[in-house]
Amino acid sequence: VTWRVGVDIGGTFTDVAVVDDQGKLVIWKEDTTPAHPERAVQDGLSRVASLLGLDVGAFLSKVSPFVHGSTVATNTIIQRRGPRLGLVCTEGFRDVLYLRDGFKWDRFNPGLERPADFVPRYLRRSVRERIDARGNVVRPLDEDDVRAVAAALRDHRVETVAVALLWSLANPVHELRVREILQEELPSVPVLLSSDVLPELGEWVRTSATVLSAFVFLASQSYLRSLERWLADAGLETRPLIMQVNGGCATVEQTLRVPVSTIASGPAAAPAAALQVGRRVSARDMITVDMGGTSFDVCLIKDGEVPRSRAIAVAHQPIGIPGVEVHSIGAGGGSIAWIDAGGALRIGPQSAGARPGPAAYGLGGGEPTVTDANIVLGYLAPEAFLGGRRALSPELSEQAIRTRVARPLGLDLVQAAAGIIKLVNENMVNAIGVVSVERGIDPRPFLLVAGGGAGALHAGRLAAQLQIRRVLIPAEAGTISAYGMTVSDVRHDYAGALHTISTEPDTDGVGTLLEQLEVRALEELAEAGFGRQRVRLQRFVDARYVGQVHELLVPVRLGQVDQATFAEIVQSFHESHSIRYGWASEQRAVEFLHWRVTGFGVIDVHEERRFDELPRVAAEGARRSARRAYFDELGGFSSVPVYSSADFPAGGALRGPAFVDADTTTVVVFPDQHLVGDGRGSFLLETGMSPAGAGGG
Amino acid sequence: VKLAAETSPVRIDPVTFSVLLNRLNSITTEMGVALANTASSALLALTLDFSCCIYDRQGRQIAMKDALPIHTNSMHLFIESIVTYFGDDIQEGDLIACNDPYSGNTHIGDLATACPVFHDGRIVLWTAIRAHQVDVGAPVATSSYAGARDVWQEGLTVPPVKLYEAGRPRRDVIDLYLANLRWRDLLEGDLMAQVGATQAGARKCRELCAEFGAGRLETFTEAALDYAARRTASEIRSMPKGEYLGEAWLDFDADPDRAVVVRCAVRIHEDTIDISFEGSSPQVEKGVNASFAVMQAAGGIPVMMAIDPDIPHNEGCLRRVRVTAPPGSICNATYPAATALATVLPGDVMQEAVCRALAHAVLPRATAGSAHWSNCPMLSGTDPDHGGYWGHQPLNGGGGGGASAGADGWPLITCSAAWGGLHTAPVEHTELLHPVLIEEWEVEPNSMGLGEHIGGPGVRFSLRPTRGPIEMIYANDGLENPPCGIQGGTPGAGGGSYVVDRKTGRRTFLPGEVEITIGPDELWVGVSSGGGGYGSPHRREAERVRCDVRDGLYGADVAREVFGVVLSEGEEPVIDREASDEARRLLEAAERESPNPSPVMPLTRAASRWRANSVRPGDLSLTVDQMRERAAGRPAAERRSRG
Repeated sequence: VTWRVGVDIGGTFTDVAVVDDQGKLVIWKEDTTPAHPERAVQDGLSRVASLLGLDVGAFLSKVSPFVHGSTVATNTIIQRRGPRLGLVCTEGFRDVLYLRDGFKWDRFNPGLERPADFVPRYLRRSVRERIDARGNVVRPLDEDDVRAVAAALRDHRVETVAVALLWSLANPVHELRVREILQEELPSVPVLLSSDVLPELGEWVRTSATVLSAFVFLASQSYLRSLERWLADAGLETRPLIMQVNGGCATVEQTLRVPVSTIASGPAAAPAAALQVGRRVSARDMITVDMGGTSFDVCLIKDGEVPRSRAIAVAHQPIGIPGVEVHSIGAGGGSIAWIDAGGALRIGPQSAGARPGPAAYGLGGGEPTVTDANIVLGYLAPEAFLGGRRALSPELSEQAIRTRVARPLGLDLVQAAAGIIKLVNENMVNAIGVVSVERGIDPRPFLLVAGGGAGALHAGRLAAQLQIRRVLIPAEAGTISAYGMTVSDVRHDYAGALHTISTEPDTDGVGTLLEQLEVRALEELAEAGFGRQRVRLQRFVDARYVGQVHELLVPVRLGQVDQATFAEIVQSFHESHSIRYGWASEQRAVEFLHWRVTGFGVIDVHEERRFDELPRVAAEGARRSARRAYFDELGGFSSVPVYSSADFPAGGALRGPAFVDADTTTVVVFPDQHLVGDGRGSFLLETGMSPAGAGGG
Repeated sequence: VKLAAETSPVRIDPVTFSVLLNRLNSITTEMGVALANTASSALLALTLDFSCCIYDRQGRQIAMKDALPIHTNSMHLFIESIVTYFGDDIQEGDLIACNDPYSGNTHIGDLATACPVFHDGRIVLWTAIRAHQVDVGAPVATSSYAGARDVWQEGLTVPPVKLYEAGRPRRDVIDLYLANLRWRDLLEGDLMAQVGATQAGARKCRELCAEFGAGRLETFTEAALDYAARRTASEIRSMPKGEYLGEAWLDFDADPDRAVVVRCAVRIHEDTIDISFEGSSPQVEKGVNASFAVMQAAGGIPVMMAIDPDIPHNEGCLRRVRVTAPPGSICNATYPAATALATVLPGDVMQEAVCRALAHAVLPRATAGSAHWSNCPMLSGTDPDHGGYWGHQPLNGGGGGGASAGADGWPLITCSAAWGGLHTAPVEHTELLHPVLIEEWEVEPNSMGLGEHIGGPGVRFSLRPTRGPIEMIYANDGLENPPCGIQGGTPGAGGGSYVVDRKTGRRTFLPGEVEITIGPDELWVGVSSGGGGYGSPHRREAERVRCDVRDGLYGADVAREVFGVVLSEGEEPVIDREASDEARRLLEAAERESPNPSPVMPLTRAASRWRANSVRPGDLSLTVDQMRERAAGRPAAERRSRG
């Protein structure tokens, strides 16, 4: 047997997911150790090894691949605990990092302080040089300037240098020479070039990506290298892979070339998990939601394609790297309900987090949270939380909601708790609207995949409100990102800038560029251990109407680039523009900016058993008890049967209202909804919405 | 705490209240996302120069995504004028557009669109978007032409017209509009995006009505307006009552002997505020008069900035502030006066006057003056490579924001009308699409007001043509009359613009109203002002002063003399604590002995020393007339009147 392993470090827990050849899952949640994240990784691995009856060495020797989602880069940025950075800029453009894109996000708040720059102005040094939009050298690089900058940066004890010159995307010659000189002058200081990190148009975003990469480089390098060493010593025979924001994974080498690519990589693994578990119901159109303690992450997958965004930011800085587009709002189990100065009920974005946590934790958090409301309404069993590892106090929940919400609003306790749930559901429905309706996509025919500890409590209601027919609650829900890592392909993204217009396309130039990118992709995937037969290539281009600002990512066919290739691209651009924005203008010329190649190193995954292959049987054998719970449509509290997930038979079916309690989550089956289990901890919830309704309107 | 549900004239359950409040806000957000993503021009897609709103049947603002503060408090007027104009002749599926400043719009550069939302056969809501257009068919290539002497020189006026009737586009009307514009393709893309977003909002509103019912929605509206009104009233109650006066000046003169003055009186009552621009100069024969809508908004914004930013800017909040100005004045022009630049000129000056008045009330959230609209030239020309006529307005040259009690100012606030709500296009985006090379875009040292908190710095922005000449049209303000400092803070430095002959190095300083053509041997340079400072400089945290000096924002001499912080020499200066304590004691004592005569600086007109300090022997300075003569005497860029 070999195991695929995913290890995801979260704010509260470090999740370990282990999957064998048959898809059998073992999970463990270890408390995260923020100061030394590798400890939780090591302890977690020991725990799963012992669950499998092995020692760590014997276990690791049979692991392939080992995929890790690291938060070191994110934490370094958020806590601003990086090295002293220098930034080399084009003369006249020393303040690109400070001036940003001129936008102040909270205009009506004059007391808002600007976030500090990652490189203070005196360490941003310019050199005389200039390249134009066509890649021509307008002014040659002044090498004396570079040496003077090197001397100044040495005097200031700079530990890492970012180089971001104008138009390096069109011609990197000056950046390359700057690096050579800096390496001569400052041999022990790492130098990162914007033309390596993000060879794309837009100096602010490119500079930001390069500076953030430089800021996290040393910390990422030291953490990833030592983890790699520890794993090798402990018995891992393959090289560990690191989860990337692009939804794939990559070797430590590749990661360190673009260190910022590990930002937000945890949530980026969820769609891969959804695509895998979606096979159980043969779904390729799905909306994944991940509701944890503090946030609610949504991603819409259409026809198996995971959407990508170039607008991912951390600490108000864009990372620039195209990544999995996950929309996130501050709505989780720990989100606090409060009454604002005008007497309106609000939920979040403040969260009680893991500490002090919801009032029910009894850790001193007196604020009522969504979890407290779920307890008061009977949805969450106080004794079954986290498999009984944490005792909850319903009295504290009641007290918090009564004093902070019910009394001020003149409601009774239950109305107040139901109101909290209704409002947080509304916020989540709106968030799902952002990724669907706002993009011209009707969510109703989609499968809703409920992840996260709190997802299954709310998913049935969200689906009903959105008129979504089916909800899949996978057994992997509680550790969805770690599981996603075990089924993620290795993915390397490459981009090159070449501006051309559909009326006069530069077919030769584009062909040459794409070939070069593909050669790099094949070489670097070979380094990561993927021979040609296990590599899949894809091409894309950023396209827009001439003069338009925002681009759409359009697929490009493989092989020879000719007029027909462009005709196809233009056609599919019009189509996707029409789908996404509701209009297209077929007579207008289309321009192309960045040409992209993605190389996948394909990971073998297990077959999934499908729900429709299961016999339908009664679920009564899994019925354990009943608890009183509130349902609006039943006019208040009633006694609701409770089932055990562990004992749920394959094909077991029931009709709501009901609860299914599992170790890391509780499934709420609302009145008249149907639930089927697969006997392995996954459930399919049917809301009773007619498929006809889903097609109409 | 008084409660939304409890004190409303009509009761609505608190949960439905919060659900509806969120839902309406999310519809306005959705409208904005749809418009930004589909618009063609950088102005809408990237700088996001637009706002989206929802109104009730009576034209009361219920929800707004106010990208730009100047849009916040004026769009209801346009809804009112539609209803007046069309009366009963409004049907489901209509889409009405208007850019007429005398029909409730701000200025001709903004096109407003609205869709009625019908439920059970009658109008229950309106969705509306106001968005800036790259071109309006003015005699010259700019949508905000300062040289316009009257409405007929500003461009094509669009009174309320139906672009869609009962769900069908009126191609004839749309073509009539587009036929008058430069860069028709681009503008058509923007128009379709705006129409689409307005209609998408209406669709969502119809679903909302179906789900909640018109009755509940009306009840909610009353409760929501009441909620915002109560929160605003409670903020106003905490302000010191009284009448406070402010005065500010346009850089533009009516004629060489006559300055244009904006005067305002802010009267803080128990729970309302009255702002009157009585006593301001008469309207002028240029595009720098305020429309009624701009007057409403420009008066109200400084108050919106001074209350809790969490309060929704709906009718209930807005009506706590009453703004008036005498008709025929620069602050409230009468037909046919031109208002092409109204949102910034005189809008920014009007905000400055209110900001100066509020300084006397010493509000905890008060801010110093912010940079006015300047150095954001409309560029156009014909690219000799392919003969294409192009136009582009980079906003990189804008100035800095005023400091507040809580924070230093931000750079690139660009104008009080926007307050940082505009995005600048990347330099590389500009250079990719247009034959322009940007030589410099950096913070301008010593440009910001000093104080306990310093103003956001101005910038130096320079560019030159790479292929063929470029026509540049723009108007500047707040450079001769820089943004004020308050409570002991000093004003911004002001600024200007000039053209450098790259062969001789000779510089020609330009007036505030510019129409000029520059050739490949010339370099255009704009220097914008920083924002005003807040509080006495000697109260600024010494470490912040040290960092400012280290980062080259001002010199060690300024640190010593103005801030009382004594620093060692060198690139990483160290604070001399003892000498600094002594210097600060002296500055404090001096302030005690001769306190500032006013919480506002400066109190005199044309206080900026920027030009006097910048002009060197051999430099030229042009007046508007001289600039026009010069332009007439040399080969100009091929000026075209079609796209």
